[in-house]
Amino acid sequence: MINNPRDALFKEDYFHPGHPLCPGCPGGMALRWIMKVLGRDSIANVGATCLCLPTHVYPHSLEIPSLYIAMAPSPAGISGMSAAIRILKRKGVIPAEKRITVFAISGDGSTADIGMAALSGAAERNDDGLYFCFDNEAYMNTGIQRSSTTPQFSWTFSTTKGKVQRKKDLPKIMAAHDIPYVATLSVAYPEDFVRKVEKARDMGPGFKYFQIHGPCPTGWRFPEHKTVEVARLAVETGFWSLYEVVHGSFNITYRPRKRLPVVDYVKLQGRFQGLTAQDIRTLQNWVDEKEEGPGS
Amino acid sequence: MSEWKQVGPDAQKRYTYQELPIGDASIGMPSERRKTGLWRYLRPRFVRRFSPCSEACPAGNDVEGFLAFAQQGRYGEALDTLLGESPLPGVCGRVCFHPCESACNRGAFDEAVSIQGLERFVADGEPTSLPVPGPSRKEKVAIIGSGPAGLTCAYHLRRLGYEVTVFEKQAVLGGMLRLGIPTYRLPRSVLDREIDRILSLGVKVETGCRVGHDIPWEHLLTWDAVFLAAGAHAALSLGIPGDSAQEVISGTAWLEAVNLGRPVSVGSRVGIIGGGNTAVDCARAALRLGSNPVIVYRRTRNEMPAMEAEIEEALQEGIEIQWLTSPIAVRRRNGKLVGLECIRNRLCKPEPGGRARPEPIDGTEFVMEIDTVISAVGETVEEAYLPPGLKGEQEGAVWVDSWGRTSLPGLWAGGDVATDPRMVVHAIGAGKRAALSIHASFTGEDLVELGRRLRTGAKGAFSIDRYLNDDLPGVELVNEVVGPDHLNLHYAEPLERAALPRLDADQRVRDFSEVNLGCDEQRARAEAQRCFRCGECRGCGNCYVFCPDGSVLFDPSAHEFRIDYEYCKGCGVCGNECPTGAIVMTAEGEV
Ligand SMILES: Cc1cc2nc3c(=O)[nH]c(=O)nc-3n(C[C@H](O)[C@H](O)[C@H](O)COP(=O)(O)OP(=O)(O)OC[C@H]3O[C@@H](n4cnc5c(N)ncnc54)[C@H](O)[C@@H]3O)c2cc1C
Ligand SMILES: Cc1ncc(C[n+]2csc(CCOP(=O)(O)OP(=O)(O)O)c2C)c(N)n1
Ligand code: SF4
Ligand code: SF4
Repeated sequence: MINNPRDALFKEDYFHPGHPLCPGCPGGMALRWIMKVLGRDSIANVGATCLCLPTHVYPHSLEIPSLYIAMAPSPAGISGMSAAIRILKRKGVIPAEKRITVFAISGDGSTADIGMAALSGAAERNDDGLYFCFDNEAYMNTGIQRSSTTPQFSWTFSTTKGKVQRKKDLPKIMAAHDIPYVATLSVAYPEDFVRKVEKARDMGPGFKYFQIHGPCPTGWRFPEHKTVEVARLAVETGFWSLYEVVHGSFNITYRPRKRLPVVDYVKLQGRFQGLTAQDIRTLQNWVDEKEEGPGS
Repeated sequence: MSEWKQVGPDAQKRYTYQELPIGDASIGMPSERRKTGLWRYLRPRFVRRFSPCSEACPAGNDVEGFLAFAQQGRYGEALDTLLGESPLPGVCGRVCFHPCESACNRGAFDEAVSIQGLERFVADGEPTSLPVPGPSRKEKVAIIGSGPAGLTCAYHLRRLGYEVTVFEKQAVLGGMLRLGIPTYRLPRSVLDREIDRILSLGVKVETGCRVGHDIPWEHLLTWDAVFLAAGAHAALSLGIPGDSAQEVISGTAWLEAVNLGRPVSVGSRVGIIGGGNTAVDCARAALRLGSNPVIVYRRTRNEMPAMEAEIEEALQEGIEIQWLTSPIAVRRRNGKLVGLECIRNRLCKPEPGGRARPEPIDGTEFVMEIDTVISAVGETVEEAYLPPGLKGEQEGAVWVDSWGRTSLPGLWAGGDVATDPRMVVHAIGAGKRAALSIHASFTGEDLVELGRRLRTGAKGAFSIDRYLNDDLPGVELVNEVVGPDHLNLHYAEPLERAALPRLDADQRVRDFSEVNLGCDEQRARAEAQRCFRCGECRGCGNCYVFCPDGSVLFDPSAHEFRIDYEYCKGCGVCGNECPTGAIVMTAEGEV
């Protein structure tokens, strides 16, 4: 007996099975949901990251047209494609009323490090499209190296004693660009995820930025059936927060019933195995400040 | 128009939508796909496992099953489900000690589901279809006693097609349900309705016929099978000086008189000795007849065998209970009972496996002024009426094996007369157990094998409905009980348990009208929503939503989910996110 309220998620898939992502990959969940919302009339730009494998390596799994783009310029892909569509509409090649959604998706390394200039440029020009940063908190496709969004103390192959710096707060940087929409997403909260992507899809032209918190079983060293559980604990502990910034106004979209201690999140993951009690306290303080401090 | 480069060697279509490869003329998909199912070493399977509530119900009710219907407001089908296992849901919905609720997984989250309240609500409605007699079989079965054990056995034997005759020494049917339990706990309209439903299956009854007295045992031994369900009605004596006085009444005999509407006398201050249901019911009935009762019990409230709710209700009604007190003699003056001499106890450490033993404290003797004594210290089996040569156990109970067989061939026993715990729901379970066991003795089916197939968990409950209607659920049934650790409680919302209304204490002591009022549809519906539906797919769709490989398929016509093993990589996310424990992961190759 199935009586389902989740209409938004029970839609046709344009991202198909048979792809080479790791078992339990949060990217598979995210891409399926994005495609369910954006539908067939959309064009993708996928940076040279984990997600280019299912989308561009033969036999590919993405049914829509897609551009395999280098790491740095994936935001520029949005700029170029939306300009092309605008011109073709003006020339009457594409009917003016036809809605075509352009989006780009790329890893956190591409977005927060290598593609930061292109991203900031596209946002500042307010080019029309949706940008998804798939934040698995390291360069995963090349074998787990730190990025600027890797959290403090996390092990990677390039931070074998734990990363010294804190996680870069990219969504806030993007909000400072005065774009129409910025939102954080988590693969543990599909309703919240889908609602935000729908909202961006239905907004007027402009640059919309999303950051998907995506726990990577391979890189974070946890069993692959726990992807959603780890994602959920990130939110329930306040390590990752779900909010949106609509035309500059900040709005929390999910508040944990009772915020859990950060250790509940950390203890599930091998990448945090070497943490001392002091390290965990430091992380807890970081979360507390983020959640309760000024500007939160 | 420019030529577009093909995407992949097998891209079937060129882009024809003007120039852009979108919309109706998408780029298409390659005709081959990677068979990622080959990566899998753990296989997710949709199964149906048992809920702890169903396992804990001695009558074998499909608790989760009836609650699933109740959640959707399909109360008729909910009642059909209950009637598949027990003919007395309206009775159990009122007087059962509800071990199901103690086992409910929701207890580990907030509070157990009010299963008994919902059983009552559902049982007070109408079923969508009535149980029917099975295709008629030649064997005849005699049942001695029309209490819950006998009635249940008769009901299921009729569903199995046997000719059944119930012999009852009383003029009325129901056993302790009618003779013992007072109407303020079990209105007779409820009992009559359920007994009528049983009789309508074509059960023959011989009332006023005491086997071993009105007809001899030898007469019954010519039947193909006999089920002995005569209960335990002989009162144990107090064993103190003066207890044979006329004013010392047996609790069960007194309740029987009250319940059958015979004239009874009870003094103005009655002392009731004992701590079980009989004692508490005597006190509450005496109160309603205008007396001032006091219960004398040798241990503390915690050790009282009476049901907790009953003790609580008695205290609300203002009944006095003297705990840690034992009677030592009945005092008389001028041939009249004037008091009960008592002594205070302290509790000693319990012996292993036993209850705490009361020990009298010297010098604490006192006299309680009373004019009537009701003795309710326990009942035993009337051995005089049992067939000779029957193996017994302590307190005269008849020995039975795990399928209700006695030491004599062709004779089964169950309920209070046998070694079963003395509760209505155990008597119902014993009646069902005997029905299946008697049936198997005729068909030659192997009981061990039947037990394995029909059992619900490991506490002795089994389903006769699964035997009678072998249209098993579409998914594989796995005999495992789902505990709190199998559930994903993140998906549970805290919801307050519905309080079940009662009559006000001062109003209820005026007469014998029902104390517990039951709940209305709205409250029942809300309470049913609290059930997690442990062990069964409740259709939340988490598996479909979260599968990173799009390998959980939803079939809207069959209204069910299916796993596409060609592509499923066996990550187990679906199993982890299943709120009810209906997906299990098994090593590839094991199944
Ligand atoms: C006052 C009281 C309150 C109780 N309250 C509860 C409660 O709230 N919840 C609960 O779960 N349990 C309660 N119990 C216990 C429960 O009633 C019994 O466990 C249950 O009724 C046993 O069912 P049975 O079919 O084995 O026997 P019984 O109900 O005792 O039925 C046996 C029947 O056999 C008949 N019989 C006996 N000998 C012969 C014979 N030789 N020939 C023909 N017929 C014969 C008797 O007349 C009787 O009708 C209570 C018991 C009492 C006394
Ligand atoms: C300019 C450039 N430098 C290096 C690489 C090699 N490279 C391919 S994938 C990858 C890692 C990408 O990491 P991230 O952007 O975080 O995405 P993820 O793989 O973690 O999803 C790198 C460094 C490249 N493709 N292009
Ligand atoms: S939540 Fe429902 S299925 Fe689970 S134990 Fe409680 S009543 Fe039974
Ligand atoms: S979530 Fe999908 S891939 Fe993973 S085990 Fe379940 S069906 Fe297989």
